[in-house]
Amino acid sequence: MPRREIEGDWVMGWPDRKRYRLSPSKDQEGRTIHARTPFLELEGLITPTDAYYIVAQLQMPEPVHPDDYSFEICGEVENPATYTLEDLRKLPGHTVRAVTECAGDDTEFWDYLESRAKGGNLPKPSRTVREEVEGVDWHGMADSGEIDLRELSSLMPATCIVSGGEWTGVRLREVLERAGVKDSAVAIRVEGFDRGRPDPTIQYRSVGRTDFEVHDPGVINYDKGLPIEKAMDSETLLAWAHNGEYLTHVHGAPVRMVVPGWAGNWWVKWIHRVEVMDRMPDCYHQTHYFVSGKGPDDPDKKMMTALGVKTVITEPLEEESPLPADTYAIRGLAWSGEGAMVRVEVSTDNGETWNDAHIEEHADRYLWRRWSCLWDARPGHHTLMARGTDEKGRRQPVTEWNFQRKHFDGIVPVDVEIE
Amino acid sequence: MHIAVCIKQIPDPEIAPSLFRIDEDARRVVAIPGMSPVISPFDEQAVEAALRIRDALGDGGEVRITALTVGDESARRIVKHVLALGADDAVMMSDPAFADSDSYATAHVLAKAIAKLGTVDLVLAGRQAADLDAGVVGPGLAELCGIPAITFARKIDVADGVVRAIRVLEDGSETVEAPLPALVTVSHEMGGVRNASLRETMRAAKKPVETWGPADIGADIGEVGAAAARRRLERLYVPVSDTACEFIEGDGARAVAAALARRLVEEKVL
Repeated sequence: MPRREIEGDWVMGWPDRKRYRLSPSKDQEGRTIHARTPFLELEGLITPTDAYYIVAQLQMPEPVHPDDYSFEICGEVENPATYTLEDLRKLPGHTVRAVTECAGDDTEFWDYLESRAKGGNLPKPSRTVREEVEGVDWHGMADSGEIDLRELSSLMPATCIVSGGEWTGVRLREVLERAGVKDSAVAIRVEGFDRGRPDPTIQYRSVGRTDFEVHDPGVINYDKGLPIEKAMDSETLLAWAHNGEYLTHVHGAPVRMVVPGWAGNWWVKWIHRVEVMDRMPDCYHQTHYFVSGKGPDDPDKKMMTALGVKTVITEPLEEESPLPADTYAIRGLAWSGEGAMVRVEVSTDNGETWNDAHIEEHADRYLWRRWSCLWDARPGHHTLMARGTDEKGRRQPVTEWNFQRKHFDGIVPVDVEIE
Repeated sequence: MHIAVCIKQIPDPEIAPSLFRIDEDARRVVAIPGMSPVISPFDEQAVEAALRIRDALGDGGEVRITALTVGDESARRIVKHVLALGADDAVMMSDPAFADSDSYATAHVLAKAIAKLGTVDLVLAGRQAADLDAGVVGPGLAELCGIPAITFARKIDVADGVVRAIRVLEDGSETVEAPLPALVTVSHEMGGVRNASLRETMRAAKKPVETWGPADIGADIGEVGAAAARRRLERLYVPVSDTACEFIEGDGARAVAAALARRLVEEKVL
């Protein structure tokens, strides 16, 4: 594949490939508060920690020393308890490898595909643009007056908010069973240290308009009410390690939740309270944001949980077109919110015909799989597509359009000219 | 054709202002632990200008690009960076005697180094260093070398023993020429710089980097570094910026505009 020239850098004093890092947004203190993963530049399945995407819905909290850390488990349990990090590490550990994907990843592709289907010319969102924004206060926009959604989109590209990682911790189930969960338990409300007043601009950007009222919960801690069934899942963790090292602050140290298959907003960071409840809690980021529905006024909005079924073509890219006639490997990644990917089909004729791609098998159901197929590329214009099917038989796309434009899993065409 | 490009390492200008510290008693910028210095962006554009000249002249041009810097061993990082971008070789003027140079002392050392290099047809430098922003070393170096200087260039062409540059002016630009050898300082309007390629980075590992002290350039200790400095630093401090915001109110846009104009006149902005 004749890709653009490989970039170089000095790594440990040696000339080497450039090591791609995050595309960070920083606050006025120079601290990273948001970052996208250059996953098209990476190889393999595990995203290096320095390249793992970062999103926080509220203000990031001040770090807590691991020795000073504790969280409580309370509510509908026989034995309320307080755990330190060392207490947690004495319990039977468990490691999972899984994709973390922000619910809003690729959100602009909803509009792009609609425009394309109607013959429109909305530009295709880019997964190769590497923006760096300094001195940004995402959470102070509402107070700053007028909101320019177009400018906001350029400041906050909504692609590449997905990564694959290894997480080590203890099963949430282990902690819940030791606490003696009562039969009345319906949900586990997990609360983080992160605190703030949700900025309505985030929702305006997500919905794509500003002409509606956004619920104001005041200053809150970030929390989610995980249904008891998912909380008891053997892969749901309270994790203290990531990719072979202790969690970093931006990823929720000392302890965060890992909810494989479900969107990143469920993976509560900086945990300080686990409350077992006999009803679903009214969490802002569950009943007002990250909800599906036809519009802001839809009375039947539903919380969004598992990701859909998704494939991304990582080679070839439109940016490399035109390409000389040759035999190419079409490659990509595929993942699902409900288990392993079992099939990926590829079309090189705009979806007219489909052929099975080779999937690299592995044992981690919630980690993306690499796939590839050979393509004898002849001169002309070609529209490449890929679609995946998971172990539940769900074939991409499975997520219906929703007004907050979350969980995009549409089939994104790649247009390539062959000379 | 031999091009010498002067580069300087500076504290990373992209760091948050809140991390920037000054020791007012010692009149020094305090190094930030873990924060590596970077090449001054204007100097990186000077390197890019040299590479563009080489690209324009093609294979037959036989352009050699030498990077020059005055700095301690920590400057090796930016030297390796410009070699990876495509410079052919580099010289580090690295000696304790060079410490605490001012603009004059730096220009003096660079002039001596250029003399030692032999035939240099074109000297390029950033329009100013992005830390102290003095913009003096380039013109001073030209003066000491006895060659013409063109400043604030956004485009440079070389042909038939003449350098032609488009200079950035406050209200536009002008095109000027000078016979070679000459010195040109490069402005940021030159445009983006290239990325280092893996192939060039691997080549860079084998490129020669020489380290010269005062004796190598024929300079006495008394004519370099702090001993030769002509600038007397009275005070080094971070100015306090007043961010007070005044909202102009009035009955309608016209009244607000008039009130705003009055305030601007009062503040002597207009």
